[in-house]
Order: sequence, then structure tokens, then C-alpha cells
Amino acid sequence: MSIFSKEGRKILSRRLSGFWDEYKRTKVGIAGAIILIIFGGLAIFAPLLTPYDPIISKRLAESFAQPQWVTILPHNKDLPPTQDIQLYWTAQEESPVPIEWGKRVALRFEAATTKQIDIRLAYNFTYKYLPPLSFNLKFTLNAENVTDMTYLLESNLINPKGDQLNLWRHSGQADAYRLIEIQSTEYWWMSARGYEPGVDNVAQIWFAQQGQYTVTFIISLMPKTTTSKMNLKIEDSTFNIPGLIHGILGADNEGRDIFSQLVWGSRISLAIGLLSAVIATSLGVIIGVLAGYVGGAVDEIIMRIVDILIALPVLPLLLALVFLFGPNVIYIIVLIAIFGWQGLSRVIRSQILTLREASFVECARASGASKTYVMFKHLVPNVLPIAFASLVLSVPGAILTEAALSFLGFGDPRAATWGKMLQSAFGFGAFSNLAWWWILPPGLAITLVCLAFVFIGHAVDNIVNPKLRRRR
Amino acid sequence: MREYLAKRIAIALLTLYVILTLNFLIFQVMSPVNPAKTILDPRFKPEQRKMLEEQFGIYEAVHIRYAKYLVSLLTWNFGYSFLTRASVAEEISFRLYNTVILLGTVLVATIIVGIPLGVLAAAKRGGKTDVFTIGSGLFTWAMPVFFIELLFLLLLSYYFSRWFGWSFPSSGMLSNPIPAEPLAYIADLAWHMFIPVIALVIGGFGSWALYTRNLLLDALTQDYIVTARAKGLSERSVLYRHAFASTLPPIVTMITLSIPGIVVGAMITEYIFTWPGMGSWYLGAMQANDYPVVQAVLYIYSILVIIFNFLADILYGVLDPRIRVGMRR
Repeated sequence: MSIFSKEGRKILSRRLSGFWDEYKRTKVGIAGAIILIIFGGLAIFAPLLTPYDPIISKRLAESFAQPQWVTILPHNKDLPPTQDIQLYWTAQEESPVPIEWGKRVALRFEAATTKQIDIRLAYNFTYKYLPPLSFNLKFTLNAENVTDMTYLLESNLINPKGDQLNLWRHSGQADAYRLIEIQSTEYWWMSARGYEPGVDNVAQIWFAQQGQYTVTFIISLMPKTTTSKMNLKIEDSTFNIPGLIHGILGADNEGRDIFSQLVWGSRISLAIGLLSAVIATSLGVIIGVLAGYVGGAVDEIIMRIVDILIALPVLPLLLALVFLFGPNVIYIIVLIAIFGWQGLSRVIRSQILTLREASFVECARASGASKTYVMFKHLVPNVLPIAFASLVLSVPGAILTEAALSFLGFGDPRAATWGKMLQSAFGFGAFSNLAWWWILPPGLAITLVCLAFVFIGHAVDNIVNPKLRRRR
Repeated sequence: MREYLAKRIAIALLTLYVILTLNFLIFQVMSPVNPAKTILDPRFKPEQRKMLEEQFGIYEAVHIRYAKYLVSLLTWNFGYSFLTRASVAEEISFRLYNTVILLGTVLVATIIVGIPLGVLAAAKRGGKTDVFTIGSGLFTWAMPVFFIELLFLLLLSYYFSRWFGWSFPSSGMLSNPIPAEPLAYIADLAWHMFIPVIALVIGGFGSWALYTRNLLLDALTQDYIVTARAKGLSERSVLYRHAFASTLPPIVTMITLSIPGIVVGAMITEYIFTWPGMGSWYLGAMQANDYPVVQAVLYIYSILVIIFNFLADILYGVLDPRIRVGMRR
């Protein structure tokens, strides 16, 4: 009976609901289904669930920042989260020159006298955590129409004790348009201020106390004539302190969000696993049906090929092929599929050998159906349940193979899979830094997804496979 | 039986031929790299180049190259490594030894732990041992082996050194300098082997236990067991002499089939623990574009799989009396 006719569809839906009734009763099957729905949800809704881009957003926090929830433990209470402090400059006293301040500082200076004008801006913030490992200051400097004058700009940090650290200083006589960024770990910046790069940590020294901190910006204008003028804009000023804790799963060695990597990784890992399994299963069904039904020489040849393929060492061959032809996702999916259909084709073939003697086949042939018609309209639908069980059970193998490939470094470099996360963790120092939040999540994710498929597969197999049912 | 043997030999030889041809096709015909570059390296001395050109027929027509390639593979001539400039065939024994030491130990230990556990689980079906076996079997099957190794590495090497000040070594096979005295040598070897062996055994015993358990359960539902019980034999006798004996052919087959798995599966383990075996040699050769080594190692892996598959078939034929006597169609 064809599955496309109206009656066929009724029978199919009845069979499916019968199947679902039995499936619902297995605890294992439900557990597997739930896990799969969770991970599938992560994969599908990845863009919505992740606030950061897994690859591009770097320096969201300090290298190897721990997950945010470790602050539950008392000795982790005061670990600093990332502070991205937007500097809304305010003037300390009445400014001699009309100046717009706030997020954007703009002033238009026209000299009346040759007297030096000083303007002092500041921003206060409270810091109530353990000392960070670094900080940086960023802003855009825009000096225009500078005529006949010198300007001196300076930015300082003042700690609660009142000590002052110079962050940046610049004097100029001409137009300038620059993005200024200073890092407290940068070599020249440190040595210029008397610190030894690689030995001292400026952030730890200067943020040792909790309390009120001030960042100041001092503008000194020194006109040479009475017609000197300039326009000055300071925009998008931020004082950033990378945190030692970050997000749900912490940060990697470049400060990227690991949770985002995990969620986006689920897409590729699941996709590759499913695609390879689907292709392998389809190949197994088609070849098995062909071998079983057509029989004769075709059967012999196919079975010899299967014997030979089973004797090949999969992983080394896979690696060699990727080594020669390049690590492309498509190749990897195809190659995993090529090594995956043999087992199923044998099983299908033996099923077909039984089925071909069935009366409905005889009927069809007697009515004049061609061999192809019989194969596709009758035999294939009858082996679909076994094929489906095999499909579900071969997904874990595909996912594990792909994870192994990526872990060894032979995966597609553009595909950020869980295996690749483990490879980065292994290669970029997660172990020496005891960064368990980078190592555990991808591995556990792989395990859970594989377990889910194994559970579902076993549940399906028990319902569908007649041999197993007998043992009960 | 004789036709069974003959058939298996024929298949083994055919597979060998296919492997040889596949090797040739992959590396010499289909590869995007100039085939000459996969044997010759600019850094080779002129005498070496001449000899290799002779042996592999580099500048001759395809069919001559094919014949010479087959001959050289069969005579264990793999050319010279681009990295070390030494003969590939020489280094094989050294590397193979390292791999077998590590993974042979793992296989033996896993079997010693896994099979008895499986038997126990089948004997007391539904009991705690059984549930534990099924659970751990499934779990360790789903967990990627390399992840288990990474976890043990993290714990036993890095966390231990943070917590206790000492730890198991995170890499390498022997300390430098290599201890001369045999007892110290073995102790040093065991010290370095500890983490990979523990990790792999814990990761692997589950599937052996599960497999043995299932085999035994299948055997226990057979009619002859009912007969044995009806005869009044003790439960232990029933279990060991009858049921377990009938599971021996598949188990022996499984063991034989796992042996090539030792060498082949070593790759990831050797990568993680920087163990100087065949696997890390293979990986390192690929990183360095050392083609002769890659071809040689792939060939050896395939040979091993063929040989042991063949052995497994023969052993199964010997152990299973049904095949020994010969089944009539």
C-alpha cells in the first residue's frame, strides 16, 4: 500500500499514533526526547539566547574569567564583573569657556587674550570589588581648526586615597582626529610610568582599595595671539575594567563568552551529526534493498564491497583524506556518511530477503509491476521502521567522529563545533589555568546529546525490532 | 570448514589489494599534491633521490608507477621521512612498540575489569550490579573517549599539582634521563602511563561489561539452559560451563577485533598525552606534510585491521563447532 494514497495515509497515521503510544511508556525514551528538545531549542534559538557573538566579541572579560555564579562561594564573593563605565564628564568648577559636557565634550574656543585657559572635567565611580588585572581607557579625540595655539590634554586616575596616576597626555598645535586607547598592560605605557612590564600589575596596585575613584580630563588651552581658536570634541569615552567573572559559563583565553560558543556550537555539531547520519542511513537502505531484492551478481558485488569497507580503519583514513583534500564541512559530512552505511545495509538486506517472499510482493509482480516499482513503493516503506531506529542510533557515532576530528585539529576551521571548543581549550591553556568552565561544558554537551539519541534509539529499537521484543 | 577458510583468505587478499590500490589512488593519483612530492623532498641527498626514483618509478608512466608502488609497499619499503631524513621502515618498530605498550595494557586491564563485571551483571539480572553495568556502559559509550581522558588529565595532573604539590605527569612516556635499571624503568613507565590507562579503562570497561552481559543473557534464554537446569545442575555450573562457554566465540572474536583498535584508536590518546607512538607520529607527519610517513602508517593500520579481522574470522570458525563441522544449506 502506497503511503501517498488517502487510505495509505490513514493507515500511516494510525501506525504512527500506535507507535507514539508505546514510546510514551518508555521512561528512557522520554528522557532522551526531553534532552533532545532542550538542545534542539538551543540550536534553533541560538541568536536569541546569546547576547554576544561567540567568535568576534573578544575581551568581554579578562582571560579565563570564571562563570558569574561562582560568587555563591564566600571566598569568591568580591570577584569583579566586567565594568564598562561610560564617562559622562562633568565640569569641576565654572568653565571660563562655554563647553558642552556629558557623554560628548565639545568646546569652541576663541581667544580673547593670550592667557592660558584650564578646564577640568571629571567622572566619579565606585569600585567595590577585588582588584582587577587590567583596565583601559578609550575615547575619540577631534581637534579642528586649530589656529595659532597650543593645547595640552591630560587624563588621570585618582584612587580613594587621593593618589593620582597619569593615564594619558598629549600636546598639539595642529588638527588631530584619533581614536585613543590606552591599556594598563601595554609595555611602553607601563615603563613610561615607572612600572616593570611583565612583573608589576598596575591595575592591582591602583585598584587595591574599594571606594570612590575619579577619572579626570584636563584641557589646557594656550593661545599665542588674540585670534587663536580651535574646536575640540571628546566623544565616546569609556573606562573599561575587564572582569574576573563573566556570564553563565565564563570566558576563554581571549575573553570570549563560552556560553555563546556552546549554544552556537550546538547548531553545527547537531547539523553535522544529523546530516551524516541521514545520508548514511539513506545509502544503507537503498543499497540494502538493491542487494536483497535484485540478488545475484549485484548482491555478491555489493556484499564484497561492504566486507572490504568494514575492514578499513575509519579514523586514520578520514584524517588522511581531510589532510589531502582540505578540512571542509561538506567533505567531512560526506566522508563520515561513506563510512557509516555498511552495517545498516546488511541488516536491511536480510530483512528484504525475508520480505521478498511475502505475498504482497508476489501480487504486485503478478499485476505487472516492475522491479523498481516494487522496491520503492513496497519494500522501502516496510523497512523504514528499522531504518529509522538505525538512523537515530547512528547520530551519536557521527557526532563523536566529528568531535574527534575537530579535536585533533582536522575539522573545518570555520565551523565552531564543540570538538573545536575542546581543541581550543586544550591548546590555549585551559588546563594550566584550571579553567574547568571551558573544558566541562562542551564535553558534557556532547555526552548528553549522544545519550539522548541512544535512549531514543533504544526505545524505538525495542518497539520496532521484532527480535528484541521476543526476549521480553 | 575448508571452503570457509578459503573464502576468508580470498576476501583478505582482495581487501589487501584494494587497500594497496586505494593508497596509490589517494596519494599518487587523486591527491592535489604532485605525486613526486609525496616521495621526494628537496632536502634529500642525491643518492637517496636516485634510489627512491628507481624504486617508486617517479618519472615513469602511471601503470609502471602503480606496479612499483605495490611492490614497494609489499616489501616494506616506505621511503624516507621528510622530517628525520631516516628510513620510515626503521622508525615503525620503535613507534609501534610504544603504542602497544600503552594500549595493550589498557586492553588487558579493560578486559579484566569488564568481562567479569558483565558476567556478574547477567548472573544477577536486575540487581545493583546489573543496573550499574548498564548505566556505566551506556554513559561511557556516549561520552567521547578523549573527553574522559581530558577530565582525568585535568584532575590527576593539573588539579593535583594545585592541591597537593605533586601530580602525575601530564605528558611523555619516560622521564629524561631514561632510567637505566629495569625496575626503575618499569616504574617510570607505569608512572607516566597511569593517567591514560586509568582514563581509558574507566571509559572502556562499560561497553565490554555490557556486551558480555547481553551475550550471556541471550545465551541464558536458550533451550539447552533449560535442559541443563532441569537436569539438576548447579546454577554455577549452568552459568559457567554452559552459558559462558557458548559466549566464548563472540568474546574471543571481539578481543581479536579490538587489537587493531589498539593501534588505530591510539591517535587521540597519544595526542593528548604526548605519547611517542604510532598515532602521534601519524598526526605529526600530517602537520609537517611528511607524506612518506602518512602513507606508511595508513598502510600499516589497514594491514593490521585486515590481519586481525581475518584472524577473528578463523578463530570464530574454530571455536564455533557449527562452522567447524560445516553447515549445509
